Amino acid sequence: MSRWLKVMAALFAFALLSAACSSSDDTTTTTAAQTTTSSGTAVVSIEGAGSITATFLPKCTNIAVFPQANSGAEEAAAELGSETAAFVGPADCGDATGQIEFMTNAVTQGVGAIMVSNNAGDELAPSAQAAADAGIPVVSWDSPIPSAEGESVFIAQVDFDETGLVMAEMALDILGAGGGQFAILSATPEAANQNAWIAAMEEALTADDKFASLELVDTVYGNDVAEDSVTQALALVDQYPDLGLIMAPTTVGIVAAAQAMTQEGLCDQIKVSGLGLPDEMREYTESGCAPQFALWSFVDLGYLAYYVAYGIATGQIEAADGVTFEAGRMGQYTITADPTRDAGLRVLMGPFTVYNADNVG
Amino acid sequence: MSDSVDTVLSPSRSARWMKPDRIKELTLVGIITASVLVFSLLIDNYLSGRFFNRITTSVVIVAILAAAQTLVLITRNIDLSVGSIVGVAAYLTGDFLGANNWAGPLIAVLVAMLIGAVLGSFNGVLVAYGRVPAIIVTLGTLALFRTMLSLYAGGQNITADSLPDWVLDLNRVTVVSIGGLDLRLVFLIAILVFVVLQWALARLRSGRRLYAIGSNPEAAKQAGLPEQRLVFWAFVGSGALAGLAGFMFLARIGTISATAGAGLELESVAAAVVGGVSIFGGSGTMVGALLGATLIETLELSLVRVPQVSEFWRDALLGILILAGVLLDFTLHKRLGRRLTAAARTDAGGSPPTTIGARRRAGKGSSDA
Amino acid sequence: MRDWAARHRWETVLGGILLATIVVNATLSPFFLGFGNFINLFWLSIEKIIVVVAMTFVIINGEIDLSVASVMGFSAAVMASAFAGGDIPFAVAIVLGLLAGAAAGLAQGFLIARVGLPSLVVTLAGLIGFRGAARVLLEDRSVGDFPEWFDRLGQQPLIGSIPLALIIFFSLLAVAWIILERGTFGRKVYVIGNSADVARYSGVGVSSVKLRIFVASGLAAGLAGVLFAARLGSVRGSLGEFFELDIITMVLLGGVSIFGGSGSMLGVALAMFTVLSIRNGLGLANVDGIIQTGVVGLLLIGSVLVPNLLEGIQSRRPAPEP
Repeated sequence: MSRWLKVMAALFAFALLSAACSSSDDTTTTTAAQTTTSSGTAVVSIEGAGSITATFLPKCTNIAVFPQANSGAEEAAAELGSETAAFVGPADCGDATGQIEFMTNAVTQGVGAIMVSNNAGDELAPSAQAAADAGIPVVSWDSPIPSAEGESVFIAQVDFDETGLVMAEMALDILGAGGGQFAILSATPEAANQNAWIAAMEEALTADDKFASLELVDTVYGNDVAEDSVTQALALVDQYPDLGLIMAPTTVGIVAAAQAMTQEGLCDQIKVSGLGLPDEMREYTESGCAPQFALWSFVDLGYLAYYVAYGIATGQIEAADGVTFEAGRMGQYTITADPTRDAGLRVLMGPFTVYNADNVG
Repeated sequence: MSDSVDTVLSPSRSARWMKPDRIKELTLVGIITASVLVFSLLIDNYLSGRFFNRITTSVVIVAILAAAQTLVLITRNIDLSVGSIVGVAAYLTGDFLGANNWAGPLIAVLVAMLIGAVLGSFNGVLVAYGRVPAIIVTLGTLALFRTMLSLYAGGQNITADSLPDWVLDLNRVTVVSIGGLDLRLVFLIAILVFVVLQWALARLRSGRRLYAIGSNPEAAKQAGLPEQRLVFWAFVGSGALAGLAGFMFLARIGTISATAGAGLELESVAAAVVGGVSIFGGSGTMVGALLGATLIETLELSLVRVPQVSEFWRDALLGILILAGVLLDFTLHKRLGRRLTAAARTDAGGSPPTTIGARRRAGKGSSDA
Repeated sequence: MRDWAARHRWETVLGGILLATIVVNATLSPFFLGFGNFINLFWLSIEKIIVVVAMTFVIINGEIDLSVASVMGFSAAVMASAFAGGDIPFAVAIVLGLLAGAAAGLAQGFLIARVGLPSLVVTLAGLIGFRGAARVLLEDRSVGDFPEWFDRLGQQPLIGSIPLALIIFFSLLAVAWIILERGTFGRKVYVIGNSADVARYSGVGVSSVKLRIFVASGLAAGLAGVLFAARLGSVRGSLGEFFELDIITMVLLGGVSIFGGSGSMLGVALAMFTVLSIRNGLGLANVDGIIQTGVVGLLLIGSVLVPNLLEGIQSRRPAPEP
C-alpha cells in the first residue's frame, strides 16, 4: 500500500505546488486608461473601449424574465464591442444561497464586472464584498443587496417605493371602492426586491386614506417555484374565505395564482394581480381572472445594467452620487443615493407598464 | 409447476381474516376519519363540498406517484427519479400539445405515459440487468433526466397560453355531482388507476411474483422466477405512472419550467410508507398507498386552516405523522406477523423481516408456513 | 503496490477518475489550478463534506440518514434563535446548536437502534420534521447580526489562506479515518454492516454502536450548520435544503456499498474531491449548474455499472442481489 500511496501523494503535492506557483490573482480585465469623470454637470457617453469579460448572474436561469434581461445585456455588449457576458446562475429558483458559488467563481475567473439580481438577501454580501475587494465592480439589477455591501450601484427597474404604490392602486382598482381582503403571494422570503416592494405597499396602504378599505390579511411565499406557488395560492383561498384578490409581485407567483383560481373556478370571486409577463398572463387577462397587472422591460434593464457595469469596469464612469451618463439607446441617467435603502447608490430606469385586456395582446 | 412454485414461494400467510394488510388499511381509514372529525370541530365550515373537492383534486398527483413508488418498493427497490420523470413528462407533453393543438386528452395521456415508460425502462435496464442498486441508479437518473430536460428546454418555459383550453380546465371537469360533492374526472382517473393496479397485484401471477421477489429474492431466483424481467417491468410501470402524474401536473400548474416536479420523489416515498408499504419489499398494497397519500394530503390541507397552528408547524407535524405511521406498521407486524429468519437479509437493526403480502387464491388451504 | 491496487480496486479507479477530472478542468479553464481556487473548491461545499464524513459511518453500518441537511438547518436555527431571543452569550448559543444536532441524532438513533424501526423511514420523517422545526423557530425571518468574530471565522481565512472550516474538515477526516479503519469501533461498524445478526451473536453491542453513529451524524450536521451560519452571516429556516442528495452521492461514489459492510474513507475522500472538482471546474468554465449535476449523476451510475459490466464480460457471475 505504502508505495502506491506515496506516488499518488507525490503527484498530488506536485499538482498543488504548481498551482500555488501559478499566480491566482491575475485579473483579466482590460482596463482602459482610468479617466475620472468630472463630477458635476458633465455627461459621459459610455462608449466601446475594449472587450471585458463579465458575469451576468440572475436569481435563477429558469424564469423567463431573466433570459430576457440577458438578451438586453447581449445587445449592449455587442454595441460596445465587448464579449458577451456569461449567463450563469442556479437552476432552482428556490435555492436562495446558490448564487454565492457563482459569485465566488467569478472572482476566481477574474472577470471585469459582475451583474447580479440578488436572490440571497444579505447572505450575498460577503462574496460581493470579496469581489469588490478584488477590484471587480458588482452592479446589481432587479434586486439589490440590501446592505449595499460590496455593491457598486443598483440598477432599479422602477422606484421601489413607487412599486408599492402601483400595487396598492391596482388593488384598489380591482377590489373597488368598497375594498376587501387581499393577500400577497411573494417569491422567496429572502428576495430583496420583493421584500422592498411589499414593505412599500404596506406603507402606501397606511399612508393614504383612500386605501383604508383594503385589508392585507397575509403574505405567503411561493419561492418562485410554480407548484409551491399554486399550493400557497390555494391555501390562501382555504384560509380566508372572504379573500377578493391575490397580489403576486413575481412573474412566477402571478401565473400560478391565476392558474389556481382558474382551475378552481374561483375567478369571479378572487382576482389576481401583481407583476407579470404579458406573454404568460395573456390567457388570464382575457378571461378576466387577472384584469390588471404591471411590469417593465427586462430587456431594457439588462441592457442598462451592462452599460453601467461596462462603464465602471472600463473606468469611464465612477460609481458615485451625481454622476450622469448616457447609455446607448436608453439615453441619459444619473446615479443618485438610493432613497429606498439605508445605503447604496441607484440608477432609476424607467416606467411601469400597466397591462390590461386592451394592451396585453 | 409454477403454480406450486408460487405456492411454495409465497411467504407465510396469517389467519385468513386478520390479514395485516387489511388491518393496516382499516387503521388508515380510521385515522383519516378521526382526523376529519377532529378538524371539523376546530374549523368552521370544514365539512363542505368545496373542501372535499379540494382534497380530491390535490391528492391526485401524489397518489399516482405513491402507486408508482409502491410498484417498485414491493420488489425491494426504490425509484427516486419519479420527480424528474414528472418534470420531463409534463414539459414534453406540454410542448407536444402546444405544437399539436388538435390532440385530445387521450393522446396526451398516452404521450405522457409513453415518455414516462421510456425513462422508466432506462432505470429498469440498469437495475435489473446492469445489477446496479436501485438507489444508485435512480439517484443518478434523478440528476440525469433533469439535465436532459434542462438542455432541451434551453431556458424556455411552457406557457399556459400555448396549451389547448381543455388542459387548463381539466381539473374542473366533473363526472358526477352528489349534493355538493363533485367527483372530478382527474380523481376518478386516479381511483381507476388504483383499482386496476390493486387487482393486478393481487390477482395476476406476475403481481404476486413481484411480492415474492421483494420478500426473498434468493428463493425467488432459485425457484426459477424471471426476476430480472419482473423488476424491469416494475420500473417501466413506475415510469409510466410517473408520466401520467406528469400529465396531471401539466393540467394543474399550466406553466412548466425545467425544474418542475423537483422534490416529488420524497413525497411519494412518504405517502407509500405511511400507507404501510414496507421499505424492505414484499409487502404493502396499492390501497394502502392511496390511503397514505390521502392522509398526508388531508392533514396538510386541513392544518392550513387551523388558526392555532401556524403554517410553519405543518412540516414538523408531517414528520411526526410519518413516524407514527411507521411505528404503527411496525407494531402490527410484531404482533400479528410471523417471523422468517432470513440470514440472507442485510437487515438494519435486525428488525424481524416480515413477509406478509401476497394473497392466496381462495380455497388453497390456510396452513401457516 | 499492485497488490494494494488489486485489493483496493475502487480507490484506484477513483484516483484515476480524479486525475482525469483535474486534467479536464485545467484544460477547460485556466483558473482551475490556483491555490485560492483550491481552497474555494472545498470551502464552498465545506458543510456538505463534513457531513459526508459522518455519513460514511452510517452507510457502512448498513443504515442511512436522510435527515442530515434538515438537522443542519435545525441546529443553525436553534443557535440563531437562542442568540436572538435573549441575553445568551453567543458561545453558549453555538453549544446549544451543536447539542440540538446531537439530540436530533439521538432521537432518531433511539428509534432505529433500540426500537428497531427502519432507518430510511425514520430519517425521512426526520428530514421533513426537522426542516419543519427549523421553520417553527425562525418562521420566514432571517436572523443575523452575529458577533463579528463569528462572521470573521466563517468568512475569512484563519491560518495563511486557509479558513477555519477547512482545518476542521481535514482534521475530522483524519480522525474519522483512524477510527474507522484503525480502531475496534471501526471494525464493529463493518461487521454490523455486513450482518447485524452475526454481529449480535458474536457479542458486539449492535444497538449501542448504531446509537453512537447516529448521534455522531447529528452532531456532524450540527457542526456543519453552525459553520454554514458563519459563512453566510445569517440563518434562515431553509438553510442547507436539499443537500442530502449530494452527500449521499459522494458516499456511494466513494465505493461504500449501500447494503453496508464495505467501503473506505480513502474512497470517500477521493469521491468528495472528484465531485467538488467537477462542480468547481465546470462552474469556472461557466457550465450550467444543472449540467454539473447531470455529470455527477452519470458518474455515479457509471461507477457501479462499468465494473459490473466488466465482471459480466469476464464471465464471472454477477454478485447476487441480497
